[in-house]
Amino acid sequence: MDKRLITISQPITQAEPSHTDKDKSKPKKNIPWRTIITLAVYLVVIPIVIFIGVKLFADRKYNIISIAIALLACIPFFIGFEKGKAGARELVVIAVLTAISVLGRLIFAPIPGFKPVTAIAIITGIACGMQAGFMTGALSAIVSNIFYGQGPWTPFQMFVWGFIGLLAGLISLRGKRPNWILLIIIGIIGGVLFSMLMDIWTVINMDGTWNWSRYVVAITSSLPFMAVYAISNVVFLLLLTKPFLEKLNRLKTKYGIFDQA
Amino acid sequence: MRDKAFASYHPIILFVYFTVTVFITMFTMHPVLLGISFVGSIVFCGTLIGVKELFKSLAYSVPILIIIALTNPLFSHNGETILFFLNDNPVTAEAICYGVAIAVMIISMYYWFKCYHAVMTSDKFVFLFGRFLPKLALLLSMTLGFVPKLKKRYREINEAQKAMGIYTSKSYVDRIRSKVRVMSILLTWSLENSVDTADSMRARGYGLKGRSSYAIYRWHRQDTVMACIAFALSAGVIWLMFSGYGDYNFYPTLAKIDVSALAFTLYAGLFILMFLSTVIEIKENLLWRYLRSKI
Amino acid sequence: MAILTLENLTFTYPNAITCALDNINLSIERGEFVVLCGESGCGKSTLLRLLKKQLQPKGNKSGKVLYDGVEIENLDERTSVTAIGFVMQNPDNQIVTDKVWHELAFGLESLGEDSDEIRRRVAEISGFFGIGDWYHKKTCELSGGQKQLLNLASIMVMQPQILVLDEPTSQLDPIAASDFIATLRKINEELGMTIVLVEHRLEEVFPLAHKVAVMNKANVLMVDTPKNIGKRLLQEDSGHKMLLGLPSAVRIYQSLKADGECPLSVREGREFLQGYKNTYPGFDVQDEDYSNRKKAIEISEGFFRYERDTPDVLNGLNLTVYENEILCILGGNGAGKTTTLKIMSGTRRLYRGKLRIWDKKIKEYSGNSLYRRNISCLPQNPQILFVKNTLKDDLMEVTKLMGYDKAQSQQKIQAIAKELEIEHLLDSHPFDLSGGEQQKSAFAKLLLTEPKIILLDEPTKGIDAYSKKILADILYRLKAQGMTIVIVTHDVEFAAEHADRCGMFFDGQIVSLCNPVDFFSSNNYYTTAASRISRGQYKNAVTVDMVVQLCEKNGRVNGNG
Repeated sequence: MDKRLITISQPITQAEPSHTDKDKSKPKKNIPWRTIITLAVYLVVIPIVIFIGVKLFADRKYNIISIAIALLACIPFFIGFEKGKAGARELVVIAVLTAISVLGRLIFAPIPGFKPVTAIAIITGIACGMQAGFMTGALSAIVSNIFYGQGPWTPFQMFVWGFIGLLAGLISLRGKRPNWILLIIIGIIGGVLFSMLMDIWTVINMDGTWNWSRYVVAITSSLPFMAVYAISNVVFLLLLTKPFLEKLNRLKTKYGIFDQA
Repeated sequence: MRDKAFASYHPIILFVYFTVTVFITMFTMHPVLLGISFVGSIVFCGTLIGVKELFKSLAYSVPILIIIALTNPLFSHNGETILFFLNDNPVTAEAICYGVAIAVMIISMYYWFKCYHAVMTSDKFVFLFGRFLPKLALLLSMTLGFVPKLKKRYREINEAQKAMGIYTSKSYVDRIRSKVRVMSILLTWSLENSVDTADSMRARGYGLKGRSSYAIYRWHRQDTVMACIAFALSAGVIWLMFSGYGDYNFYPTLAKIDVSALAFTLYAGLFILMFLSTVIEIKENLLWRYLRSKI
Repeated sequence: MAILTLENLTFTYPNAITCALDNINLSIERGEFVVLCGESGCGKSTLLRLLKKQLQPKGNKSGKVLYDGVEIENLDERTSVTAIGFVMQNPDNQIVTDKVWHELAFGLESLGEDSDEIRRRVAEISGFFGIGDWYHKKTCELSGGQKQLLNLASIMVMQPQILVLDEPTSQLDPIAASDFIATLRKINEELGMTIVLVEHRLEEVFPLAHKVAVMNKANVLMVDTPKNIGKRLLQEDSGHKMLLGLPSAVRIYQSLKADGECPLSVREGREFLQGYKNTYPGFDVQDEDYSNRKKAIEISEGFFRYERDTPDVLNGLNLTVYENEILCILGGNGAGKTTTLKIMSGTRRLYRGKLRIWDKKIKEYSGNSLYRRNISCLPQNPQILFVKNTLKDDLMEVTKLMGYDKAQSQQKIQAIAKELEIEHLLDSHPFDLSGGEQQKSAFAKLLLTEPKIILLDEPTKGIDAYSKKILADILYRLKAQGMTIVIVTHDVEFAAEHADRCGMFFDGQIVSLCNPVDFFSSNNYYTTAASRISRGQYKNAVTVDMVVQLCEKNGRVNGNG
C-alpha cells in the first residue's frame, strides 16, 4: 500500500487504561414489562386477531386463527423468559430437562402415544416454578418437532404442554412431592385434555368451522390414544416424580438455582 | 453441509415463503387453487427428497386422501345431488367433493411441511428466533446440542446397567421400569455435569448486558430479487383471494369455476408462486450438470 | 510487572474445617508457561477457579488475586470475562451449543459483538487452529480431542491475556492429548500467551514449562524451573505423592539419586543413560505356560457390527483370556477395544463366531446368571452405575439383587467398604465424591456381585498417578483372590507395569499378544517412555523400575558404582 498512509501514532497522554468498573451503579427504571406485554397480548392482540378472523375471513377459517392464537398465547411467556432473570444454570437445567423429554419420546417410540413429555413438564413446573415448567413444555414441542417434522400442530403442542407445565407450577408446593392420588388425577386430566384439544384442532382443520358430529367421531376414534396418553402420564408421573424431584431439589439447594420467581 | 439451490436463500425468505404457501393452502377451498398447491407441494417435495422417497410417502398419503373423501358424507349431509341413502341419511356428490377438497388441502399441507422440514434446518430455525428472542434461540441451540449428547449417554448407561444384571426379564412392566431407571440415572448425570456447562457459559461472558446473536446467514442479492418477486406474487394472490376470486362453494351445488381474466391471473400468480421453489431447485441442478459437463 | 499475582491467598469452603488454600503467594509473568501440579484434592482446582471472577466458588476468601495490578473483584465484567480464558477438564460438558460455528461465536455474542466482527474473528481463529473444516459440523459429531480443541478455540477467540487450563487432557486419549499440548505450546511460543496449566500427566508438559509449582495440601510447596523441581522434590519431600506422576526421565534420575542436570524429555533421558555402563545388557523374559490354565473367555472368529450397513468393528477376532490373569488390551481409538468388552460382557452379540465363557456358550447363561458371581464390568465413566442418593443405598441395591437379607447385606457392604477404604464415604451422595473415590465406589458395587471375571474400560482415565497406584494395588489383591481381569486401556505405562499379557488391537483384530516386556520392547512407537529412553542402551527395559534396576547393576561409566 501507499507508504504515506502509514504514520507514527501520537504518544499516549492518557493514564493507563483501567479495567475497573466505572458504571457499576446505574439507576435502573423498573418497568414491569412482563406484565404489560402479557396483558397486552391477552387483552388486546388476541381479541383483535379473533375480530379480524370473524370479520375478514367471514367466520370460516378457524384453523388459521386458532394457530395464530396458540402462537400468540405463548409469546408473553417467551418474552417473559427473554427479559427474565434466568441465568446460565437455569438455562442449562431447562435444556437438559427438555432434551430428556424429547429423548423420552424416542425411547418409548415403540409404544405409540406413550411419551413422558407431559409428565416432565409437570415435574419441572412443580420443582422449578411456572416459567421453567412452561419453557420445558413448549420447548419440548418445538425441539421434538425439529426432529420429527414440524406441522400445524406444533403451536398447539407448544401451547398445551407449556400450559400444563405452567399450571403444575401454579398449583404446586414448590418442590415438595404431591401425593399419589393427586398425581394420578393430574396425569389423567392432562392426558384427556391434551387429546381433546388436539381433536378440536382436527375438526377445525377439516371443516374450517366447528362441527359437533365430527368432534364426537374424532374423540371416539382417538379414545385409544386418549387412554394411552392418560396411562402414560400416570405411569411416568408415578415413576419419575420421586427421583426427578429429588435430583432437582438436590441441585437447587446445592447451587441455589430457581429460587427466585 | 452447505445449502444449495432453494435452501441457500436467506432463512427469512424461506420462512415467509412457507408461511404464505401454507396460509393460502389452509385458507382456500377453491378446487383450482388447491390443485395448484397440491401438485406444487408434491413436485417440490419430490425434487427435495427424491422420487423414490416421494413414492414411498405417497403410498401412505393416498389412502388417507381416499378415506377422508369417502367419510366426509357421514358428517355432512348438505348438497343437492343425492347419490344414495345410508341409514336414512343422504350421501351427496357435493359432500364427497368437499371431502376430496379437504383431503387435498391436508395432504398439500403435509407435503409443504415436509419440504419445510427438508429446507429449514435447525440452524435456520434457531437463527429466526435469534433475531427477536436471542435467549430463547440460545436455549433452543443448547437443547438441540443436548439431545444427541444425551442419546449417547442413554445408550452408555443402558449397557452398563444391563451388565449389572438389573431388570433382564422381558415383561412389559420390567422393560418400562428399566427404561425409566436409565432415564433417572441420565438425569442425575446430566444435571450434575450441567453445572460445568453453566460455568463454561459464564466464563465466556454469558449474562453480560447487550448480548448479540451471530447471524451466520447473510443477505445476498439473490435474496433481494427473490423477496421482490415473492412479495409481489403473494400480495397479488392474497389481494385477489380476498377480493372473492378465491371463494368457492360446494353447497348446495358445486359452484362454477370462475374463468374471468382476473381469476386466471390469480391461478397463474399462484402457480408461479408455488412452483418458484421447484424451478429454482431444478434450474440449479441443471446448471451444475451443465457446468460439470464443461469441465 | 507480573500479569497475575496471588498475595496471601487463603480460601475455606463453607462448612469445611480446614482451609482449601492456605496463604498462597505466587506470581506469574507475561508469556510464562506455568505448570501447577499436586495430588488430587490438594486445592489446585480451587486455586484456578479463584483466578476467574465468574467461576469463584462460594466460601471464605482472604488475600488478593491481582490481574495486571488490579484485584480481580474490581475488574469490570467485560475485562474479567475476556482477559482470563478458562478451559475445563471435561470436553463434553463445556460445549454449550449444537454447532461448531455457534460455539466459536458464543463468547463474542456475550460481548455483544456484531455479526461482521464475529465472522472476522471466528475466521481468524479457525485458520490458526486449522478447524475450518468443522465449521458447519454438529458439536456432537466431534471426537473428544476435537471437542477440547474447539473449547480452546472458543476461548481464544475472545482474545484472552492469560489462558488457565484445568486438567484439559485428562479425558483424552494419548494421541489427542499430545496434539492438545502441542497446540498449547504453539500458542505460548507464537503468540506469547501466558499459560497456567494444571495437569497430572506430566510426561509431555514438564519439558515445555518455564516454571513448575508443586502443591502440597493447601500450600505451594515449591516454585522452580522443571529441572530444579526434578532435583529438589525428592530431596525435600521424599514421600510426596507427585513423585509418581513425574516424567519417566525425571523418575529414573531421582531413583538413581544422580546429581547433575535433571533430564526431562526422552531425548535428555537417553543422553543421561549414556552415563551408565552396559555390562548387563538387559533382561531376558520367558513366557508363562498357559497350556494347563482354564479358559475364562474365548472368542473365536468373532465378527461384529453396530448397524447392518456399517463396517465390521470386529473382524475375525480370536482372543482367549485365561483364568486368573491380568490382560490389557491396547490400541488406537475406534479399533474395537471397547466393543470387545461389550461382547465379553454380553451387552452386545457377535453376528458370527463363537463366544464361550468358562467353556460354556454365552447363550446358555440364562437370565442374570452371567452377572451373578461371574462377570462384572466397570464402565469408562463410573458415574453411570449410581442410582441412589447415598452410596450405601446404591450398594444395598446390589446385595438385595444378590438375595442377601438385611444383616448379611450390612456385613457384606462393611467388608467391601473396608477393603476399598471407602467406609467414610458410605453416607455421601455418589456425585459428591472425587473421581478416584467414585471409581472405588463403583468397584465396590461390582465386587458385591462376587464376580470371577472383571472387565475394566479405561480405568486410569482422569485419575492421577497416586490413584493409579491404589487401583493397581486393588487389582493385585483381586488377582490374588483368583479373579480374572481384562483391562482396555490407552495407558501404556500402566499396562507395562501391571499386565500379565498385553494385546494390541488393530482393525478389529488382536495383532500381537504377549507378555508386556516383549510387547513393549518390540514396539517402536507405541511403547512406554521408559522403553524409549532405554532403547539402544538396554534390552527389554520397559518400565522405570526396570531401567533403574539395570543402571544400578551396571554402574556409572566413570564412577565408582
